[in-house]
Amino acid sequence: MTYAYYPGCALKGSAKRLDLTLRKLFSRLGLTMKEIPDWTCCGALEYGDRKQIILNSKKNLNKASFISRMVIAACPLCVKNLKESEKDGEFSIFHPLDLLNVKLILSAEIKNDLTNHIFTPYYGCLLMRPKETALKDKEVMEKIIKALGGEVCGTEIKDKCCGGNRFFIDKDLAFNLSKIILERSKGTFVVFCPFCHLILKTFSGDRKVIYFTELLLYVLGDIKKL
Amino acid sequence: MQKIEERIFEYTGYKQEDFSVCLGCKICASVCTLNDVGFKVNPQELLLSLFMGLKIKNHVLINLCTSCYRCTESCPWEIRIPELVRAIKEITDKEESFTKAMKESIRIFGRVYEPYVILRVLPTIILKGYVKYLKRWKDYINFHLPTFAGKKG
Repeated sequence: MTYAYYPGCALKGSAKRLDLTLRKLFSRLGLTMKEIPDWTCCGALEYGDRKQIILNSKKNLNKASFISRMVIAACPLCVKNLKESEKDGEFSIFHPLDLLNVKLILSAEIKNDLTNHIFTPYYGCLLMRPKETALKDKEVMEKIIKALGGEVCGTEIKDKCCGGNRFFIDKDLAFNLSKIILERSKGTFVVFCPFCHLILKTFSGDRKVIYFTELLLYVLGDIKKL
Repeated sequence: MQKIEERIFEYTGYKQEDFSVCLGCKICASVCTLNDVGFKVNPQELLLSLFMGLKIKNHVLINLCTSCYRCTESCPWEIRIPELVRAIKEITDKEESFTKAMKESIRIFGRVYEPYVILRVLPTIILKGYVKYLKRWKDYINFHLPTFAGKKG
């Protein structure tokens, strides 16, 4: 089965690493995906007019229908907009986390386990809320890390806001919000959203911030060091 | 000209009745992200003013809302306050230069093309002191050529 892949603007620019590692991870796990040709921006959180956002995503879904009715997008904003524009159940829209689970990871060949590593899976806002467009299993990353022998920290801050949306407008607000997250957590950050990665990386100092795809590729042996 | 309230309803798909169900429980105020960092923000005030037809132009939330949807999740009626805030901003022309540059990029290229956005907001980046973070942003600089995908579709 082929999934239609909607990368979104960020994954072609600043979050290129997420795009590359996601493609690698999917081929390692035996899932095939094909990029939607000529896709356009989904509008992210920039438009006040919801009709405009829904129109943008509908255009993209129309283009996706030539490949598959199963669409994946890795950016939480894109996932939200695609899920909102789709009403009749004609398309199914997934975040890669919806497809991953402990069983799938353990069925692959595991080269490195995560003993002696501490992780803070940080989901951010839009994978957890609003509930119509949120992830189905909100603890999937914790389960995977624990199954591989790692330690999980900071579960109470995993859905707090990092202020990413306001960063280029009011950097002190983003600094104060991410300080709360950084103070109440330990170990390596595992993030899912391109913007969370940018904000946490900016303020994190020596703490490591990685995408979830990089963590899983490390487990599968494609990345040597975390 | 249409009244601001009517245009908000048009943009967000809400009707005035939808706000009359607000119970005034202020749970949105208790969970708001901004209250974590010392602001005293009450989203329910905004809803009340919308319902009463009062002035909403200068509410503090309009400048500060981070669109985290925490209010929506805890609201008994799931009123989407971040979407209201975005609509108000667009209607009253309170959008920041960054948002405007992104929209412009979408209009021209069909996508957010980051070098273009950065060029447009370069004065803000320099004047507001973002230069000191440049060292940490090395990983993010990935120039890709713009596509004109939006024009075709």
